[in-house]
Amino acid sequence: MFGFRHIVLTQFRNYLYQSFSFTERIVGISGENGSGKTNLLDAVYYLCFTRSYFSRTDAQNVHHGQQGMRLEAQLLKNDEAGKLVCIVRENNKKEFYANDEEYKKFSDHIGLYPAVMIAPDDTELITGGSEDRRKMIDTLLSQIYPGYLQQLIAYNKILQQRNSLLKAAAEHKRLDTSLLEILDMQLCERGDVIYQWRKTFAAEFIPLVQQQYISIAGKDDQVQLTYDSQLHNASMAELLQQNRQRDMYLARTGAGIHKDDIDMHMNGLVFKNIASQGQRKSLLFALKLSEFLTLKQQKGFTPVLLLDDVFEKLDAGRMHNLLHRVCVEEQGQVFITDTHNERLEKAFIDLAVPYQLVQL
Amino acid sequence: MQLPSSLLESAVNEFSKLPGIGKKTALRLVLHLLKQEVGEVQQFGDIITRMRRDIQFCQRCFNISDAKICSICANRLRNQRQICVVENIRDVIALETTQQFSGTYHVLGGIISPLDGIGPDQLNIESLVHRIGEEQTEELIFALNPNIQGDTTIYYIQKKIKHLPCKVTTIARGIAFGGELEYADELTLGRSLANRLPVDSYISNR
Ligand SMILES: Nc1ncnc2c1ncn2[C@@H]1O[C@H](COP(=O)(O)OP(=O)(O)O)[C@@H](O)[C@H]1O
Ligand SMILES: [Mg+2]
Ligand SMILES: [Zn+2]
Repeated sequence: MFGFRHIVLTQFRNYLYQSFSFTERIVGISGENGSGKTNLLDAVYYLCFTRSYFSRTDAQNVHHGQQGMRLEAQLLKNDEAGKLVCIVRENNKKEFYANDEEYKKFSDHIGLYPAVMIAPDDTELITGGSEDRRKMIDTLLSQIYPGYLQQLIAYNKILQQRNSLLKAAAEHKRLDTSLLEILDMQLCERGDVIYQWRKTFAAEFIPLVQQQYISIAGKDDQVQLTYDSQLHNASMAELLQQNRQRDMYLARTGAGIHKDDIDMHMNGLVFKNIASQGQRKSLLFALKLSEFLTLKQQKGFTPVLLLDDVFEKLDAGRMHNLLHRVCVEEQGQVFITDTHNERLEKAFIDLAVPYQLVQL
Repeated sequence: MQLPSSLLESAVNEFSKLPGIGKKTALRLVLHLLKQEVGEVQQFGDIITRMRRDIQFCQRCFNISDAKICSICANRLRNQRQICVVENIRDVIALETTQQFSGTYHVLGGIISPLDGIGPDQLNIESLVHRIGEEQTEELIFALNPNIQGDTTIYYIQKKIKHLPCKVTTIARGIAFGGELEYADELTLGRSLANRLPVDSYISNR
């Protein structure tokens, strides 16, 4: 069992200083709009991932008008007590500690405390660009494969260097081909291994999502997912070679694993173009549930599940089904937010699980 | 900060331009100088001025120097056929402190990073390649920070001297990948210099 017991938020978003104790496995959080429900979930997410699910910079996380912030949690993992602390200093320098030991690299933390967030804007995963889907896959793979995140960070750094070189070359009308070849070699080294990881992963993940979709939607809508990558047909080195002229002309790198996507189709047509609202939601939950199940299977224990405003998204029947699956059939910690305290309470009573309500 | 004298204020402003020095610390330093004899402060100022004015960069290795050629290059007891490539002068000082190295240095003046606008042309790379050919260097030892740009720089230089019969090694990575040379303790730094590796093998072993 892995779960949070106590959390202290200092100058984090709307919280100046507040602490919460979680005594049950199922935690309902209720409060009006703007009361800080999402922020509380994000604090938990932050401690699992060393960063927010939503905001890009730490400056956005610090309570307006204050300098620095701190998140601290007591938790339980495999029957052992643990402690996580994150401090963002006045100068926005970040420190992260697990059991009082400071991390040299934040990437070492990823995967030790797995969590899955489901938030209202996640429909972007279905309707948005490929970047959102890559982000989801990368977050998941970073937790599963040690080293994945480091390779990905390295790949992105080298990619930036390569693009800068191409830009400078276009400006000065002179390219240092030796340097480009070195960067290509460094990029390929990472690109090829990342592709292998993603390919191995997709072969298991995609059937799981399709199966989850059927169970959530209650019927088979012929939803077809495929892992799309330029590396299916050529190695990273071949791609860079083939695209060199074009890359030089456009001053950016047009091929590589940074273009990967998960294509979504239904009955042979592009999913987002023809799917109904209900079908989109079903696919979103299928993706998230598969993420949850994959983590559980890989880690050998259940990840923390953070459900933000899901009541607004699903009808009562589907909602009950979903909650039954994640609260009753699974034994992990679940946080659920809602504006209506009574609706939350009623849902938990229907499920007949021990629960705790936090009212903001 | 309200100061009663504009002389004081401009002195404080100058001190606070130094790295790691804020206004408060600057004031403390200036007030300390005020307590000294005029002659002493004069000497302090003169030494700083002379340091900046008279210091040169070694024409051979780009280390700081009092003459055209630095004391390390000029020392005939040191192995002139061995060149340790470093990013900056601070690294020379760190490596010299270990007393483990008796060859010569070459200060690149930075590291290849197109993102920061630094290409090979901005660094002392051409002079290095020239030097290796001229001096019949037997071994080139890279002591660069273990990160991606460090690797890029190593590969690039290695490629430029492929035609020369010079052995290329790099300091062993006792220092964590992503760490900073400057902050490594003397012992680690000394040991990793002693256990340097051929560049080919550390790439595949990582
Ligand atoms: N950095 C910050 N400093 C202060 N308040 C913030 C900060 N970031 C967000 N907030 C406030 O937090 C509130 C939103 O909290 P949120 O968790 O999204 O509420 P809920 O999910 O309950 O609707 C808003 O009132 C917003 O102004
Ligand atoms: Mg909210
Ligand atoms: Zn010299």
